Amino acid sequence: MLFNSIEFAIFFPIVVALFYILPQRWRVHLLLGASCIFYMAFIPAYIAILFVTILIDYVAGIYIERSEGKRKKALLLVSIVSTCTVLAVFKYMNFLTSSFSGLAGLFGWHLSNAAVNIILPVGLSFHTFQSLSYVVEVYRGNQKAERNFVVYATYVMFFPQLVAGPIERPQNLLHQFREWHRVNYVNITSGLKRMAWGFFKKLVVADRLALYVNDVYGSPRSHNGLQLSIGTLFFAYQIYCDFSGYSDIAIGAAQVLGFKLMENFRTPYHSLSVSEFWRRWHISLSTWFKDYVYIPLGGRRVGPVRYAINILITFGISGLWHGASWTYVWWGLLNGVYLVTGWLTKEWRDRFFGSIGLGEETVMRKGMMWASTFLLTCVAWIVFRAKSLKDAWYVFSHLLQGWNIHQIKTEQFFLRQLPIAFAAILILEACQLWIQNRDSATSTFAKLPLPGRLAAYAALVLLVVMFGIYRKTQFIYFQF
Amino acid sequence: MNQNAFDESRGALAGELVDDWRSLPEGEPAAVRALAEEQERGSEGWIVLRSLVFFLLILAAFALGLNGLITLGLWHIKTGQYGVSNRMIRGEINAQIVINGSSRALSGFDPRIIQATTGLTAYNIGRNGSQTDMQLAVLKTYLEHNRKPEIVIQSLDSFSFEATREVYNPAQYVPYLYDRELWTPLRRINPGIWKSRYVPLYGYVVDDMSMSWVLGLGELVGWSQREDYFLGFNPRPLKWTDEFKSFRAANPNGVDWPIDEEGKQSLEELIQVCRAHEVKLIFVYAPEYSEMQKLTRNRSEVFRDLHDLSERYSVPLWDYSDWRYSAETKYFQNSQHLNEEGAQVFSEDLSNRLQGFISANPFQSNGLQVRAIADDRGVETNLAKR
Repeated sequence: MLFNSIEFAIFFPIVVALFYILPQRWRVHLLLGASCIFYMAFIPAYIAILFVTILIDYVAGIYIERSEGKRKKALLLVSIVSTCTVLAVFKYMNFLTSSFSGLAGLFGWHLSNAAVNIILPVGLSFHTFQSLSYVVEVYRGNQKAERNFVVYATYVMFFPQLVAGPIERPQNLLHQFREWHRVNYVNITSGLKRMAWGFFKKLVVADRLALYVNDVYGSPRSHNGLQLSIGTLFFAYQIYCDFSGYSDIAIGAAQVLGFKLMENFRTPYHSLSVSEFWRRWHISLSTWFKDYVYIPLGGRRVGPVRYAINILITFGISGLWHGASWTYVWWGLLNGVYLVTGWLTKEWRDRFFGSIGLGEETVMRKGMMWASTFLLTCVAWIVFRAKSLKDAWYVFSHLLQGWNIHQIKTEQFFLRQLPIAFAAILILEACQLWIQNRDSATSTFAKLPLPGRLAAYAALVLLVVMFGIYRKTQFIYFQF
Repeated sequence: MNQNAFDESRGALAGELVDDWRSLPEGEPAAVRALAEEQERGSEGWIVLRSLVFFLLILAAFALGLNGLITLGLWHIKTGQYGVSNRMIRGEINAQIVINGSSRALSGFDPRIIQATTGLTAYNIGRNGSQTDMQLAVLKTYLEHNRKPEIVIQSLDSFSFEATREVYNPAQYVPYLYDRELWTPLRRINPGIWKSRYVPLYGYVVDDMSMSWVLGLGELVGWSQREDYFLGFNPRPLKWTDEFKSFRAANPNGVDWPIDEEGKQSLEELIQVCRAHEVKLIFVYAPEYSEMQKLTRNRSEVFRDLHDLSERYSVPLWDYSDWRYSAETKYFQNSQHLNEEGAQVFSEDLSNRLQGFISANPFQSNGLQVRAIADDRGVETNLAKR
């Protein structure tokens, strides 16, 4: 079930109403049932796969907690391997077989590439990682194994964050299913406002920009440099608004129910370095990789060469997590290269800026750092979005060629959409700055009497509705 | 405290009321506090519910109001596609010759040239992206509100037998969904269209990619789109592009156009409707780029069925597949559509043939008194007095 659908608009109020009406002992059952309905709205049969992974990790968690030494480690490995096998089969089977065939071809072996027609279960990567963090935390002794199957299943399947995160940690979320959530006016209104903000990002910004991006990246060779450049800029905001919009809706929906999910984005395009970008972008995933891949590999507690390798491995796997395609792997590795290069050149850059009189707090230095970070990120997005590495290279090498202001629109993107698209991006950025300083803004709104406040909110919601794009578009990260 | 303990202590304190739990002295039983807290929660629940209800009522009122304003504005538009639809619904066209069809009709048949040549009033009610079933609905709507024409020119396409799977630009019909002749076929094609009629703003926002609501609101404040429809004709001042080259590369073995039973029935029904209204019907297959004709694999089947209908119902079929300029991209915007220059040349050819047809098939009523239309902007329409 998509958040931007009539089904969800009916489903959600019913679930919230029932949640607050029911006594505590039935609430978690309601959430589990609702999450099942939510998930089965995609492909009903795939709930069996989810059930299998839940059962494996539920049992594994209990036995891992009871065990010691080698047996404990073995159980952890069994759990990780079996969970990852499900992910590998559904997500990477075709990628692995075609890559293997390609490799064999280099040696002159010709293997038939029988592609298996497997549909990826929605959100598989997300709830797999959430389950994996649970068993690892139980193994490390940071989390008690959950004995109540219903509670554990709800932890994995909690519908606001089931299909596209945030990827929660058991320490944050599990205990919340046992707590009494009272009706709280502030929680509910804040949650609804957060959801509205998410819908603005998704419907008004992301889906509008997608019309342009899909045309340009669908056939890059049919578009000039100006269109490629605009398409790349638009994709940067499309993927940000699509994904962070989903996170906002998920966090807001959970907040309406009284649950607190972790923040997943902190205005990443305001970053002054690539490393800062990765502390602000998809925070739940980047911290997951940091805690369960990067640090176990040694993190920074190793020599410089090994440190660089650790970063590249971590980001390479992160790229692969995003999709079964070499473009994603190269995107991940490219970001790894950015980080390693940034680390290697930090001192030199500090000396350089110092020599031209630009201290750390100077506006010009911050501006240059912001611009270079944004540019590097956009270049990486080219690799991420392109259908192939060949296409990615074509886009990159033609960004500045053949600019033609009279040929700016695309097949689906009428010219009148262009000012609206740019205005939407500006409004997004302005609102983000406003939210950062929201104490003063909230007090302005709070001064209005209740009918006036409600009318203002209704007008804002109506603006989102009027300017939204309603093609049946999934959220980008659903495919991961 | 957990819920079970709360339930137990609550039972023990049944009937006891606490006005303000904050005023309880320290050491009072936790259950008493919890009971008072629940009473406060209950009232907070009502506050939330009340606020949500007020919010939804205000939102609904805004949505209804805005929907009404947009519809009102669209009804008053005098230019563009909405201008044509408004004139049709208000019965202001009343032309003697009506051209019906898809975008090939809309951009290929110039009624001004037909008028000038034949001396009869003409109007083009062609629709972009429409199949025969929707073209039939538009014609029925026209006949419902306007004086019946003497001649209907039905423009045919290779896809004339294709039933509509998805309505193209449904927003163009939203202000007129109350009209039975439009509502019935739209409902059949898209059962979900009731949302566009009964849910405020749905039709203008969800189904509309071109933001027509801006046109509606703009009309209310005195802003109108530039007119690019001339007696319903929408010329395409565009040059040939490489689009066909890409299409041919993508379809080296050609394409097949669907021949649906519903499509055939729609064309037959169109013939019956014209007969019932005693309107002379002429089928015209407008010029098509010759290379595209070669790419259409089942062209002979389509034309076999078209000729079959034509002969069965004695409807003249004027086939311009071999038009003398079919191979010249100069006159085409793409393989299916004439550009402005091509439409002018074709319309002259058609008008001359039509003139001959009219001479050979005089109308039953003679002695027509014709007042020429100055333009298409709500000035007196042409009235043919019998």
